[in-house]
Amino acid sequence: MSLGDRLRLLRAQRGGVPPVEIEDALPELSKGLYRSIEQRYRAIGDDESIAMLASYFDVPFDDLRWRLDWPRKALSRALVHAVKHDQPITLELWTGHSVTGNVAWWDLGAAAIETDGGEVVVQRHAIERWDPRAPEVAEAADEEVEGESDGDLGLPAD
Amino acid sequence: MAENLWALREQKRMSVATLATRAGLPIGLIMEYEAGQRSVDPRHLSRLARALYVEETEIRLRGEPRPGSPPLEHPFDRPEQTVRGPARPPAGPPARPPARAPEREASGDAHAMPEQGSRVRMARGPRTAVEPKPPAPARPSQLTHLNDLIFRLGLNRDTVEAEMGKPLAEMNRLEASSLLARFQTQMRSAAIVDRHRAYLPEAVDQYEMHYLTGLRDQQAQVRFELFDGRSVDGKILGFGPYQITVVQDDGSELTLNKLALVSYRRAASDEEQPS
Repeated sequence: MSLGDRLRLLRAQRGGVPPVEIEDALPELSKGLYRSIEQRYRAIGDDESIAMLASYFDVPFDDLRWRLDWPRKALSRALVHAVKHDQPITLELWTGHSVTGNVAWWDLGAAAIETDGGEVVVQRHAIERWDPRAPEVAEAADEEVEGESDGDLGLPAD
Repeated sequence: MAENLWALREQKRMSVATLATRAGLPIGLIMEYEAGQRSVDPRHLSRLARALYVEETEIRLRGEPRPGSPPLEHPFDRPEQTVRGPARPPAGPPARPPARAPEREASGDAHAMPEQGSRVRMARGPRTAVEPKPPAPARPSQLTHLNDLIFRLGLNRDTVEAEMGKPLAEMNRLEASSLLARFQTQMRSAAIVDRHRAYLPEAVDQYEMHYLTGLRDQQAQVRFELFDGRSVDGKILGFGPYQITVVQDDGSELTLNKLALVSYRRAASDEEQPS
């Protein structure tokens, strides 16, 4: 689960507090930063801003900080890499379970994994970590990840 | 090199009336332009150029009359001749004589006769047949669209023009419209529409939407795993970008927020049944 997804879940668990209220409560946070963290696909934020948000939501700093290294865009790269190389991928889920198999399809909301026990559709916001991560070469080429260019939201080809 | 309007018109084998109709200008005005009695109004230049299939620069603004032609008598000064502008509706069938007029005269009814000062309808003479209005030249936007479609379909413009028997720029509005419709059908059938996808949540969940549609249509039994560790079994009744509504085994409906979902799959019992 990316930092943005985690923050969105925390908001929902607190009765759906609107982003503007968080920004009002944290005036020292850069204007528009909170929305960017939630809405953008790449890693956005720094230790200082994450510390403020952790304090606001009353959660440990580390619980938010590590997610900065696992943004949604990185998950897309890993899914693309698995599809291109026909390799299985393992998704570690929020519940502590893991799902391993080949990627049947994915979009910006979910990914379908063909497991030995049948096809499982996993919501992307429930994915904590994954293995393997996409190699460095693919990480350098964000253009390869269709659909998450922060504005040009195409979908993987049929 | 600019030419006289009459010379261009005659090169195109066009009558003054036809030019006036195609340009949407009064015939008398065209005659005055051709006689050099007045300069071509810049507002009319583009209309004339399109009607003649020439560039605007090819039309001489202040034309010289055809050598040897008599000086133009203003058409509206001639009482015996009526000049109809192109804006008038086309002539219909000849007007019938009023059928009841003799009866009214015979009855001696005073109200049947027009009173002094009232409007008197004059009997019309037989009308001459008017040639059908030729279609207007293709709009610039049509030509632009055509060129774009020719490029996107990978066609050769020369081939298209040879098939049509004339350059694209000389097509009329109907021909251009027909050709556009044909190309657009080809585009749709070839599925090569390159459309930018809008940034909408409904659009970015396309694959999951298709998958859920399949499960719903098959009335498949699905097991949903939730964030709090619970699971829900049921059949999908409906769904949206953010929710899925399920009919549970006891018949009750439950709407699940996708944010509360971890995963879902066909129930094992459902997979064993033939679909």
